[in-house]
Amino acid sequence: MNILSEVSQRIFRKPSLVTEDAVRQALRVVIDPDLHKDIVTLGFIKKIAIEGAKVNVVVELTTPACPVKEKLRGECVAAISALVGVQEVQVEMTAAVRKTTRVDHAEKIPTLAGVRNIIAVASGKGGVGKSTTAVNLAYALAAKGARVGILDADIYGPSIPHMTKAPMPTHMDGQAVIPPESGGVKIISVSMFGSADKATTLRGPMVSQIVRSFLQQVAWGELDYLIIDYPPGTGDIQITLSQLAPITGAVIVTTPQDVSLIDVRRAMQMFDTVKIPIIGVIETMSYFICDGCTKKHYIFRSGGGQKLATEHGVPILAEIPMEAIVAATADAGEAIVKAQPDSYAGMAYSYAAGEVARQVAVLTMNDQSGLKGFRLEWRAL
Amino acid sequence: MKESFAGGIQRIEQKDDRTLFIAWTDGRQQDIDVVALRRVCPCAGCKDEWTHKPLISPASIPETVRPIFIESVGRYALKVGFSDGHSTGIYSFDTLRGLSDTHDA
Repeated sequence: MNILSEVSQRIFRKPSLVTEDAVRQALRVVIDPDLHKDIVTLGFIKKIAIEGAKVNVVVELTTPACPVKEKLRGECVAAISALVGVQEVQVEMTAAVRKTTRVDHAEKIPTLAGVRNIIAVASGKGGVGKSTTAVNLAYALAAKGARVGILDADIYGPSIPHMTKAPMPTHMDGQAVIPPESGGVKIISVSMFGSADKATTLRGPMVSQIVRSFLQQVAWGELDYLIIDYPPGTGDIQITLSQLAPITGAVIVTTPQDVSLIDVRRAMQMFDTVKIPIIGVIETMSYFICDGCTKKHYIFRSGGGQKLATEHGVPILAEIPMEAIVAATADAGEAIVKAQPDSYAGMAYSYAAGEVARQVAVLTMNDQSGLKGFRLEWRAL
Repeated sequence: MKESFAGGIQRIEQKDDRTLFIAWTDGRQQDIDVVALRRVCPCAGCKDEWTHKPLISPASIPETVRPIFIESVGRYALKVGFSDGHSTGIYSFDTLRGLSDTHDA
């Protein structure tokens, strides 16, 4: 060991050289790209431990599915390493998903009290791959470490149990049904409730009553994300769901053609009316990749989802290609993000889930919509 | 078309016997007379769905009517259960903000 490094060793071993304040100051250069604030101001720094020249920091993000997690980690390491006296840096990234609601909606729907964010997956018309999207978003979020549930509210064509091989519920918690799990995701479908099989022939008020009762009678427990698979269109059930459940935001699913876009615009207007923010648009069946080459064949028209997103000022979250494997895995009861994560569609859905988590985190942090889920009893004075 | 309000309710409370107080997230504060609120009920039984003309006369609503409860509807409206048994009206935030402020009056 030469004399210079020996001297520097002696100096740098002094614990006084690196302070918690210095580390905190250094981390102020790390900006969250979505929230446009530094991670110290945002309160993401959960722990700073200094041991001589070793610094250990724990950063808590708002979602385990954060797409820029590694980038932020790198920036943290670089910022701390630049401090005089630091020789070893460890940055641990954790996540705690923040709750959408400022006031607990526990009083109105106690069974949803542990649910942090509710995401509606909706479309203007049927057959666009909405349920497939709901399932894949759910499993992609779960794969990134989030606690996820799916509520299949598509009363006219509940397909989630088939797509996930979810068993029937068998246990009760008091008056509430405990949702069965499949692959670590909690799943409840209207098809699991006896009254639901009559739904196709039921009319408005009855249908709303069924939706209400099965929202109130499921013991979800603690969830980071509850994905609700909406029925297609803009009828009674969609509005009832939007009124009853404190929904964080909606993901709109569409295919590229104009006929689909016309209906989907109506769905977006409905969410505007009930003031549910639109998280973004997912375009399915965007293009086809055949076996022989990697060329993208745009069977329908291209850019429809993008047009819709631009028109409404919301992001396009993903363009999902047509692949035979998407339908095959769904029919086999497994999400493509689990069965074939490296397929084009699998990667696209995984990316979309990261974007959804990211947009939800932004919505939660910037929520200006005030109180939610309250009830005021009028007193006689 | 009137501009739609994108915010929500910051604080809501009963001010006195017949006044509902709402502080909106944009800073606006509003006192709403609950009897007047009952008289402008926007439900299909109280207002014609197409012409928006009132189907009830203000005089048919007694001065003694009071809410029993007021609760949130999604992120956009309030539902009020009144002492005359009427509870089908859903008052959107835009409707509420369009009502006269009894504090200014």
